[in-house]
Amino acid sequence: MTSILKTLSALFSGSKSEINMPSAKLAEENNMPSTNQEPVSSPAEEPTAENFTEPPAQRRVIQAPVLVESSGEGQASEKVLIKAEPEEKGDQCKLMVNRPLFAGYSWFFKDFESAAGSPLAEKIFSSDLVDTLLIHNSTAIVTKFGGKMQGDWLPLAKELGQIIREVLESGSPLLSDDIIKNLPPEDQVRKDIQKVIDTEVNPGVAAHGGKIVLTSVTGNSVTIQMGGGCQGCSAADLTLKQGIHSSFRKAVPYVGAIYDETDHAAGMNPYYS
Amino acid sequence: MPKLNLFKLKVETGDVGLAEPVHFTINGHKLPFDDFKGGTGAGETFEGEFEIRSFAHSLTLVGPESGSWKIRKIHVEYDCENTQPYSASFGEVALDETTEVNIWQDPPLPTWDV
Repeated sequence: MTSILKTLSALFSGSKSEINMPSAKLAEENNMPSTNQEPVSSPAEEPTAENFTEPPAQRRVIQAPVLVESSGEGQASEKVLIKAEPEEKGDQCKLMVNRPLFAGYSWFFKDFESAAGSPLAEKIFSSDLVDTLLIHNSTAIVTKFGGKMQGDWLPLAKELGQIIREVLESGSPLLSDDIIKNLPPEDQVRKDIQKVIDTEVNPGVAAHGGKIVLTSVTGNSVTIQMGGGCQGCSAADLTLKQGIHSSFRKAVPYVGAIYDETDHAAGMNPYYS
Repeated sequence: MPKLNLFKLKVETGDVGLAEPVHFTINGHKLPFDDFKGGTGAGETFEGEFEIRSFAHSLTLVGPESGSWKIRKIHVEYDCENTQPYSASFGEVALDETTEVNIWQDPPLPTWDV
């Protein structure tokens, strides 16, 4: 500390002998690292044609099909059994029932008004917290207003489970006759969705190097894959839910479930890995 | 993502076996199995385990340096910190010198009977 004060004092007084103290010595006295050291030669060997080896080629990560090992628990039960599975992000909850709600097909109810005439959906929307409802095979997927925590779902999931059980046990129809009668054939769904992809979705995502491919249609449910710049992009989820879902549902109102089977972790810029 | 303490792997080989030691990668680091039994010849079953004690951003089974390895089934048991042990099974896959197969699955989401 004394040395620093002396140096500063000399600096302002103009005394050169004190200012020229080598910084290594200053550092030693004040236990500080020196900034004035001779460069240390690197011990690393210079690469030559003899010692240079090619790095191993990067392997491509592939996905094997995941086998679902069902215990069969509840499948044969006469009781209506329902399991609730909130999504990790907490914005939706899947209610899995041990009997079909809409076998082979799916239907999306965007709000209370769209549920008119479908007893199951009407009763589910009787809860003020329910925002949207998707029914597919034996599952009901619900989104709710507010709350993004998994634990938040428990009271509502219990209420919805009770509603589903009561409607099923009553034996009344679950969905409106209009929905069931007017379901289009798969070819029509494929053609209409492909048209939206070609004319609206892909021109939009192409600006970011992205591309959407329709991979399968089952009933009125569709599965897509996001490629190019969309694969692994941090905004892929937003693009899917606010861009692709909206475009599909606006242009093809009878489309039901929309699934994304993109392996985002295998993208060129894998935000999701 | 939970911390993976240990994983156990069981690989059933199909009609084309692997004539090299089995390697896996954890977060891009290629390693052999510490402890294993069985084999990877055609129709054989290999069982190995490894103590990871780290977060698994990626976990893969590596293909052979040359030739091909046809796998009939892979079963993995995961022992993670603060999570009930769980497992996953994967179906048929063929690996070669350009590929590795993902063997990581996140823990199952919690479910409630309602």
